[in-house]
Amino acid sequence: MDNNVNAVKKDGKKKNNFKSNEMIMMVFVLVLVILIFTVLNKNYFTYANMSNILMAASTIGLLAIGETFLIIAGHVDLSCANIAAMSAVITAILINGGMSWPLAIVLVAAGSTIAGLLNSCLVNVFELQPFIATLATSNVFMGVAYLACSGKSLPVGDKGFNAIGSMRILGIPFPAVLMVVCFVIFGFILARTIFGRSVYMVGGNAEAARLAGLNPKMVSTILYVISAVLAAFAGVLMTAKMHSGQPSAGSGAEFDAITAAILGGVAFTGGTGNLAGCFIGLLIMQCFNNGLTVINVSSFWQIVAKGLLLIVALLLDFIRRKKVFRKFLEILKAKEN
Amino acid sequence: MENYVEFKNIRKAFVGVQALDGISFRADGGEICALLGENGAGKSTLLKILSGAHQADSGEYFINGREMKFHSPMEAIQAGVSVIYQERQLVSELSVTENVFMEDLYCNRAGIVDFKRSHEEMQRIIELFHMPFSPQTKVKKLSAAYQQMVEIMKAYRRKSQVIAFDEPTAPLTDAEIDILFGLIQRLRDSGKVILYVSHRLKELFRLTDKIIILKDGRFVEDVRTANTSEGYLVSKMVGRNVGDTFSALKRNDQMGDVVLEARNLRGNGIHNVSFQLHRGEVLGFAGLVGAGRSETMQLLFGGDKVKSGEIYIDGRLKKIRNPKDAIEEGIGLCPEDRKEQGLVLGRSIRNNLTIPILNKISRRGIIDRKRERKLSKEAVAAYRIKTPSIEKIAMELSGGNQQKIILGRWMLADLKVLILDEPTKGIDVGAKAEIYQMVCDLAREGLGVIFISSELQEVINICDKVIVMRDGTVTGCLDRKEMSEEGILSLAMQENGE
Repeated sequence: MDNNVNAVKKDGKKKNNFKSNEMIMMVFVLVLVILIFTVLNKNYFTYANMSNILMAASTIGLLAIGETFLIIAGHVDLSCANIAAMSAVITAILINGGMSWPLAIVLVAAGSTIAGLLNSCLVNVFELQPFIATLATSNVFMGVAYLACSGKSLPVGDKGFNAIGSMRILGIPFPAVLMVVCFVIFGFILARTIFGRSVYMVGGNAEAARLAGLNPKMVSTILYVISAVLAAFAGVLMTAKMHSGQPSAGSGAEFDAITAAILGGVAFTGGTGNLAGCFIGLLIMQCFNNGLTVINVSSFWQIVAKGLLLIVALLLDFIRRKKVFRKFLEILKAKEN
Repeated sequence: MENYVEFKNIRKAFVGVQALDGISFRADGGEICALLGENGAGKSTLLKILSGAHQADSGEYFINGREMKFHSPMEAIQAGVSVIYQERQLVSELSVTENVFMEDLYCNRAGIVDFKRSHEEMQRIIELFHMPFSPQTKVKKLSAAYQQMVEIMKAYRRKSQVIAFDEPTAPLTDAEIDILFGLIQRLRDSGKVILYVSHRLKELFRLTDKIIILKDGRFVEDVRTANTSEGYLVSKMVGRNVGDTFSALKRNDQMGDVVLEARNLRGNGIHNVSFQLHRGEVLGFAGLVGAGRSETMQLLFGGDKVKSGEIYIDGRLKKIRNPKDAIEEGIGLCPEDRKEQGLVLGRSIRNNLTIPILNKISRRGIIDRKRERKLSKEAVAAYRIKTPSIEKIAMELSGGNQQKIILGRWMLADLKVLILDEPTKGIDVGAKAEIYQMVCDLAREGLGVIFISSELQEVINICDKVIVMRDGTVTGCLDRKEMSEEGILSLAMQENGE
């Protein structure tokens, strides 16, 4: 039996099948989650509720794109949710100060690049661990968000701006459309461009990538900036959705974003994963969370469940790595014989 | 009772390499016994087996007549074996006492360390060894030599009967070496078995009583130090038959203009290295481990910062700040450590092949996947990489095939100069022969090839010229006609100031 499997694996095409098998698996899990909750409560699989799920997924989705890129490259950004919060508040302040909303968005996005560069500087110039560096800046950004609005939420009256949050295209909420468009564009960048390839190579082995002519520090700098700008857009969406800039909006969303990436098969060891997987991981997580609400699980238990979901995701990651490792051992053994 | 260590028919294999191939010898107490051999002769592996870090595949070893079988370093320590490595095993933030008494500090009944008594005991040992530091001194404040003394005191405190030194003098100054030798001689006089590994022949004549020569994992001969000469030792270390592999090689005979010239390169532990490389030439770099060969190449390739000196390519002065610059100038590097520096192990052969040429196979930043697959297949075929598919993960290939991926990568990149740093390390004989032929073929195509190897037979049979390095400087340069293992070794090992 085992021999048979190995024989098939020697064929190169098997590898691709293996990858798409994993994808089919994840889609299957997603369908399963939706089915279970639909059976438990008829109100789950309805247009209104599915819209809710997509709406909630949109901001986390933008953050998850940034995290996926960074994690594949061997980095991580814990500050993105607070960059979003900071951007949410500052957008509200700018619009309330009389600025036209398109200009406000451009300014906030431009400002967020500074936050991304700060993260990159700590990691690449001062060589801090990404986890520690962005944990520190995360607090700074959160503080700035609270300082800017004195801790109060800032209502925004601009109808044109608020429409961003409530507008629908072909019946689908605009934020969800925006998120999907971003997933497609960045998915293409990751899978098909030189830059995307560099991300994988740098994450797989930064020193080897450097000695083959790539620039790992430049790659990670661009990624921190991308993560920050996407976070700024997430912040703008939050303000538009809630019609107010709230400093507490999106707190903890960085972990939801990381959870989505890991559920979608992005390994924390770097070098592997893709955005399609991340997208399905995101949907699994959102459908799961929403389902718990729909079937009236207490919000405290929901927190526990979210934690358990992350543990399951990490265990999957572990098993996957084990599999690769075991394969490697088999090869060593085969060579000795 | 007389101490002694005896090895009987010790064998040990690593993946693809027979590191020890039936070694037998005996070392007696009251003697300093040297282990001598080229890189890869098996000296370090033998010490690692004695210290319990590795286990022998077969064979036996005895200490004072009792058969030993260590499964961990702790068992070896308890049996009275201490191995002192070049990299010291000390906790630099802790005091001398804490390091020496590491696992065995004096405690009261409640398990609380009795520092007073421990320091007193330590003081006694320090006086015995005539050392100028105190028990409370932190190890990080001591010089390299005194740190080594702390290691030796640890071995003494453990009442080790067998003490082995692995290249202990490499980081030491002459004055420090005097102190160390004095101590080793005192340990010998107290009847301990001393094993001493070093590449420096002069040291062996100064210190040791007996020399055991190893080659390719086999025992060659043991000689009394007093009855031998440097020339004899070198010839015994080297003497091996030249395989047919080399005579079958089609080498390049036509050399072109100078393609690469380095003038007075400094930085990264390298002092004033200058040389010229011609088109079609295979230029060897020989020397012992740590002689500065890889470091020189990292300077040339932009992997490390050049402090001063100039690099000319086709006669024009070039500034190479990073590997990307080097690649744009047509220089490629196959690094010494294939797995850490060469390959992205978790990615496919195709991904690994095309890293330096992504720009060439892309339009507006988007990779032309058809072209990438075509070029990858060509490289796999040209370099005979044994794989069913270009999508196979690099980790799953053998060492030889992994090395061929890196060679193939540079073939695609259209180079003028290729630097190969230990390209045949740890790969099997068949793949080695293939790589030799590839090197010769590249030279015939007009590339300048720099070939670093610790295997002298390779250097002699492949290179048109060889530069020998020692301690970061060039100690000599030999032409094809002048090359001999003895000649290269004596340049690689000669002491400073000779």
